[in-house]
Amino acid sequence: MKKIALLMSVLVALTLLTGCQKKEESKTAEVKVEKVKLVFTSWRTEDIERMNRINDEFTKANPNIEIDFQPVKDTEYDAQLRQSLAAGVGADIIFLRSYDSGYQIYKTESLMDLNSVLPELKEFPSAAVAAWATPEGESYGIPAAGVVHGIYYRKSIFEKYGLDVPATWDEFIAACDTLKAGGETVFAQGTKDNWMLYEVMYSGLGANFYGGEEARQALMNKEARFTDDNFVLALEKMKELQAYFPERYEGIDYVTMQQIFGTGNAAMFMGGSWEIGIFEDLGGLEDVGYFAPPLAKAGDTLQYCFHVDAGIAMNKNTKHMEEVKTYMKWLASSDYAQLYMNELPGFFSYTPGNYTLNNQLAKEMQSYVSDSVPTVRTVWEKLSADSPSGNELVGEAIQMMYAGTLTPAEAAKFVDDGLSWYY
Amino acid sequence: MIQATKKHTRFLFMFIFPAFIIYTVFMLLPIINSMKYSLYSGDGLVPGTFVGLDNFIRLFTEERYYSRFWGAFGNNIKFFLIVTFIQNILGFFMAVFITRSFKGSGFMRKLSFLPTTLSVLVVGFIFKLILNPYYGIFDKVLEAVGMGDFIIPWLGDPRSALVIVSIAVSWQFFGESVLFYSSGIDSIDESIMEAARIDGANIWHEIIHIILPSVLPIVGIVTILIFIGDFTQFDIIFAMTGTRGDPNYSTDLFGSLFYRTAFSSAERGGWGTGMGATVATMMFITVTIGVGGFLAFFNKKKEELGK
Amino acid sequence: MSKSKKPIARIALYALMITYALSILVPLVIMISTSFKTNAEIFNNPFGLPESLNFDAYTTLFVISNYGRYFMNSIGVTIISLTVAVTVSALASYAISKYQFKYSRALYVFFVVGLIVPIKLGTIDIMITMLNLKLFDTLWALIIVYIAMAIPLSVFILYDYIKMIPDELSSAARIDGCSEQGIFARIIVPLVKPGLAAAGIISFIPNWNEFWFPLVLIKSRDQFTIPLATGQLFGQFDTKLNLVFAVLSLASIPVIIIYLLLSNYFVKGLSAGAVKG
Repeated sequence: MKKIALLMSVLVALTLLTGCQKKEESKTAEVKVEKVKLVFTSWRTEDIERMNRINDEFTKANPNIEIDFQPVKDTEYDAQLRQSLAAGVGADIIFLRSYDSGYQIYKTESLMDLNSVLPELKEFPSAAVAAWATPEGESYGIPAAGVVHGIYYRKSIFEKYGLDVPATWDEFIAACDTLKAGGETVFAQGTKDNWMLYEVMYSGLGANFYGGEEARQALMNKEARFTDDNFVLALEKMKELQAYFPERYEGIDYVTMQQIFGTGNAAMFMGGSWEIGIFEDLGGLEDVGYFAPPLAKAGDTLQYCFHVDAGIAMNKNTKHMEEVKTYMKWLASSDYAQLYMNELPGFFSYTPGNYTLNNQLAKEMQSYVSDSVPTVRTVWEKLSADSPSGNELVGEAIQMMYAGTLTPAEAAKFVDDGLSWYY
Repeated sequence: MIQATKKHTRFLFMFIFPAFIIYTVFMLLPIINSMKYSLYSGDGLVPGTFVGLDNFIRLFTEERYYSRFWGAFGNNIKFFLIVTFIQNILGFFMAVFITRSFKGSGFMRKLSFLPTTLSVLVVGFIFKLILNPYYGIFDKVLEAVGMGDFIIPWLGDPRSALVIVSIAVSWQFFGESVLFYSSGIDSIDESIMEAARIDGANIWHEIIHIILPSVLPIVGIVTILIFIGDFTQFDIIFAMTGTRGDPNYSTDLFGSLFYRTAFSSAERGGWGTGMGATVATMMFITVTIGVGGFLAFFNKKKEELGK
Repeated sequence: MSKSKKPIARIALYALMITYALSILVPLVIMISTSFKTNAEIFNNPFGLPESLNFDAYTTLFVISNYGRYFMNSIGVTIISLTVAVTVSALASYAISKYQFKYSRALYVFFVVGLIVPIKLGTIDIMITMLNLKLFDTLWALIIVYIAMAIPLSVFILYDYIKMIPDELSSAARIDGCSEQGIFARIIVPLVKPGLAAAGIISFIPNWNEFWFPLVLIKSRDQFTIPLATGQLFGQFDTKLNLVFAVLSLASIPVIIIYLLLSNYFVKGLSAGAVKG
């Protein structure tokens, strides 16, 4: 027992000592160069190394400012952010989700109105700015990153069966049939994490069937209901894909999907542009291709879900107002945008400027934009402001549809019923 | 033991006060104060508008609230029943065997308690990884021994997910029941057992007439501890099926419901602090009624046996 | 207990015990051995032991994720909260077990009731209190809550230990002119050391593993404790399985070692509690 007591007290002493030393060091440093440390938070825990490299560039130009990137796990992020801001311990620079999630935070009066800080926001695409602005036009977030949804495929597997990239739904299904007949795992898809079913599949692939942006607007303006034929049709199309899911797809979660596709064990994966980095880490990108959601019929215009993913806000109550403003200016610059898109291919910046994308897949994703109508996730705006949120409902409905408990029409009704608080 | 007199008052106060105040202010009062917030409503972290019993009325009359509440309640009862069966009944028999005299009995006793020392979170994550339908070892073992047909998506199927979660929790705390029951069996007077054996009693007689009556109080303790643990369990759900109790809320328990409603954003199932406090109050009532019921039941049993 | 005579019964007993032992050990062995594999090995050779001890996962954890910091946070929180909890519980237990006054029995029951009070249900108020005290998002918030949580069990254990000390010893000291405080310090404490150890060790496990309160009360990464870091890192590294298993192993190895070293304290301490009921 004595030994253990001794060991423990040594450990305590160590913690206390190192704790004190660190503080003293930083104090002396402050006096010398007045170094300021800004805390930057986000839900992208996988980006730590990449963001540190980007921020190093900033510190090179501004040696007195150091950026401490402290992301929080995606699922806990919103709650953590809300509470830490309320407690006055929030980060200085904050990743903010678009529309209502971000707006809820702004309403707590803890974020800065950026219009005066960053006049250059006027130059940004107005639709993107609107995703982080109040109806009155106060902007609280720099539109920092958009993501697209589409289909990744394995080039080698497609070559083996002589398949071309499908442009229409019929070609897409035909390709699936060929792959299935050949004994391949067609999709690395599972239904355990239902947000994927909504965010990527329904919003991405379904948009061409429910009528994309126009239909989304109608739904939001209460001119259309989720039980309308076009929304049900999109659900039916999603149901068609079930035949090509791998065995025991109900138990496959998001991470497992990435592993199956990333290690080359499935022909296709319906995913988001943010996954480029993950596939690069898992097995390289040489064999990975990408195509946009197939059209309902040839000649249609692509309804491309180019989702407003991340805005960057600043904490109104920061202790380092001037330094934060300097950093925010940099975040709104094309220098940052270029660095960001190089480090994190698949995230597309809204900052005006001419950029060269160094990643082939990101280029392909980008190439579809010019001939398409951009839209965002189906019920992200307004319809997810209260509980149960549209975001949850659509995911749950499709999950139950795949489990066989609901038909597509019943799934649509389930969503519509759940949204009764909106009507 | 000495009779305290006036001159001891100051010293007794000094000795009792620190523990009393910390324990009261940070353990007992928070529960009562949290209930107070169930009478308030409002947007922020601290709800500011007094609404009386409105939150309770909404909880039980609005479908979006009561469907979640009763769903979690039902799941929690199933969860409790499965865990009780494994830990209490199987645990009891394991204790009967583990207290037989055999080589390695001491080692087994120590080993059985080992999982209890781990974090519930770690146990949940391990089980989740072992049961993964793609690379999980469990399915691969089943395939290897020719039982591949029995494989189902364990955590993806609403029919199996709750059972699997219950088994994971039971795996972890099985040793605790075994330890409690073993110590109860150890404390039985050896001569009574001997006498029974000389009378030709077999193991069943031994269990029913000697072991069971003497460990009955321990059954009560174990059951109550399981009950409280299960009706506030959160970590295992967080680790294995997420705070929404996937798939489709089939593993949503009171603990995950409370976390989600009180501390999550609206978009992720948050109901605001006031409604969260209402859920906590209902949980407290449930736990209190349950514990009271079990205490009454086991005390009555004890008395019956005493006669 | 007497030995069972029938050989078949013996064999069945051993078979049962071996199965039980394996069901405990196999998941733990998988956890630790997988953390030493490379990602390719995990997919190609899920059953076997790692080809070589690959410490990559562990170095990554300590270099990238600041794991050392989380570890020190956990050690600090655990040691401070247990020391305070055991100390104040010993004082209170002494007062209510050795002195008879109107509320001595009631106070004992009052403290021990905490064993079945679900403190989680007070989280909302604890959070708001910590906000008001400006302790939200600091390790002190956790320390205070953990002290409160450890008091009921500590009183429960120490009450018995102290009560068993013969009164003659303290009476003799009292006659020699020793104050009540002096009796506690010079006579009770030295004799009750095993009790203090048992209380500390048994409270150590739930304290070290506690996940709920950091999840609610801690927001900044440099204030994470091991369980919260485990929850976060599991999400962060989820596609890199060896890292995930390394995270789980690191969270478990300290408790496993302490348990193996001190298992007698657990078994004796908890068994006594159960029988006394």
